[in-house]
Amino acid sequence: MKLPASLYSRRAFLNGLIGGWLAALGSAFISPLLKYIVPPTPEPDQVTVPFADYKDMAPHTVKGFAWGNKPGLLQRTEAGEYVAFVGVCTHLDCNVSFVAEQRRFYCACHEGWYDENGLNVAGPPPSPLRRLSVSVEGDTLIVKRQG
Amino acid sequence: MKALGAWIEDRLGLGPVAAFLAKKEVPCHRHTILYYTGSSILLFLGIQIVTGVLLALYYQPTLAEANASVVRIMTEMPLGWLVRSVHSWSATFMIALVFAHLLGIAFTKAYRKPREATWLTGVLLLGSSLAFGFTGYLLPWDELSLAATKVGTNLPKALPVIGTWLTQVMRAGDDVTGDTITRFFIVHVSVLPLALLAILGVHIFLVQRHGMSAPLEAERDKIKLPWLPFWPNFLLREAGVWFVLLGVLLTVAVFLAPGVGPQADLMAPAPEGIKPEWYFLFMFQTLKLFPARILGLNGELIAMLVMMAGMAAVLFLPFIDDRPFERKGKVITGLAWAGLAYAIGMSIWSLM
Ligand code: HEM
Ligand code: FES
Repeated sequence: MKLPASLYSRRAFLNGLIGGWLAALGSAFISPLLKYIVPPTPEPDQVTVPFADYKDMAPHTVKGFAWGNKPGLLQRTEAGEYVAFVGVCTHLDCNVSFVAEQRRFYCACHEGWYDENGLNVAGPPPSPLRRLSVSVEGDTLIVKRQG
Repeated sequence: MKALGAWIEDRLGLGPVAAFLAKKEVPCHRHTILYYTGSSILLFLGIQIVTGVLLALYYQPTLAEANASVVRIMTEMPLGWLVRSVHSWSATFMIALVFAHLLGIAFTKAYRKPREATWLTGVLLLGSSLAFGFTGYLLPWDELSLAATKVGTNLPKALPVIGTWLTQVMRAGDDVTGDTITRFFIVHVSVLPLALLAILGVHIFLVQRHGMSAPLEAERDKIKLPWLPFWPNFLLREAGVWFVLLGVLLTVAVFLAPGVGPQADLMAPAPEGIKPEWYFLFMFQTLKLFPARILGLNGELIAMLVMMAGMAAVLFLPFIDDRPFERKGKVITGLAWAGLAYAIGMSIWSLM
């Protein structure tokens, strides 16, 4: 059957064409803008601190250092070795503190607890504190991302 | 004077608007008091804009200066403490009234046809007001505001696919830093005011277009309620309410001026007793109660989804309850009361 006029009018076609063109143009502009608004803030691969500052730590004590924008926590173990954690709660990102008397890490935001090895033991934290690897080279202490 | 008026009228042609306002009627009934909540919100919004601009004259949105500049506003600028106190209290009053405004409309079912779009813009205005409060809370950059912002901006991370990106957008990267202050400041003083005023324009236009809603019984029985002319009678009453509110605001602002805590330290542990502004307390407490894992699923994600479902239910209320205007809505009224009781109960609990 031959229709006397097309069901798809010239106006509808042009509207679709212009609308589609505008949408494409818009998204072409928006995607670089979306990139722009998130600045690159890579986590450091490693951080070095003077060993002298940490040499005299007693076993079972913790001292802080800057892991990029996050607090790092350096801990001395019973055996005299060093371990390091990212001192940020795995629940909602608050900075944790080390409660020396109880030998546990504590997050004040929603009362989360981690044991001395960084294992989440009470409260809302879903996973252990993140560990960093520590090595001593001469008079510097090198903290690296694990893995 | 007349000539000037005629000159302006020729250029702007606002005669119909003036004529509309001159014969606008406000129905009088037992819920008339709810009509005052809207205009009172406008009062506090105006105060926020004036005091906000004043604060921005000296406030500096950088890591090094944010806290110090607030201290300087409070201690060195003439009456600076009062400007800040009024800004902080008026924010509280405004948000309380926005809540009251929305609850009143939910109770009286004024969101039903043809006012669905008015309700949608109203919920967006609530969202903008809360966003104002959230971004403003970080600006003094003390221990509490840092911890609260870390938690608040971490929440979206639980969402799949876009979560991490959303958090990065809010924080300007993976962590809350000096860039976050700058970003929150720009959103607080530029993006949100533009957005809020645009939505408000649509909202007020829609309110005028549909007229004030009347109580269900009056609509059902087609009763013509007694009414007051908007100009000048009702406006005079509103002005009276404004004066009282202004008096209350100034009194609390003078006697209960907010302090400012020690400057935030990105490396320090979170302080004891962190809590957000009062209007986020019920969400804060809800989060605290959700365990890390529920049946092996991420508890935080579930908490987020529950809260988002609640927000969606509020936003789309007119489409969930889309019955004709004159039908009673006992279930919705009950749910609104339950929601209010939940929010108040959780808030009180979080303070204990
Ligand atoms: C709905 C409107 C607004 C709300 C609810 C609001 C809310 C807030 C809150 C809660 C604070 C933190 C107060 C404190 O503890 O010190 C704040 C701070 C601030 N606001 Fe607003 N605000 C609004 C509008 C504005 C506007 C329009 C401007 C400027 C154009 C502005 C400029 C500022 C500045 C500069 C600060 C930082 C100073 C300080 O913290 O004392 N605000 N705002
Ligand atoms: S952020 Fe640490 S317990 Fe919630």
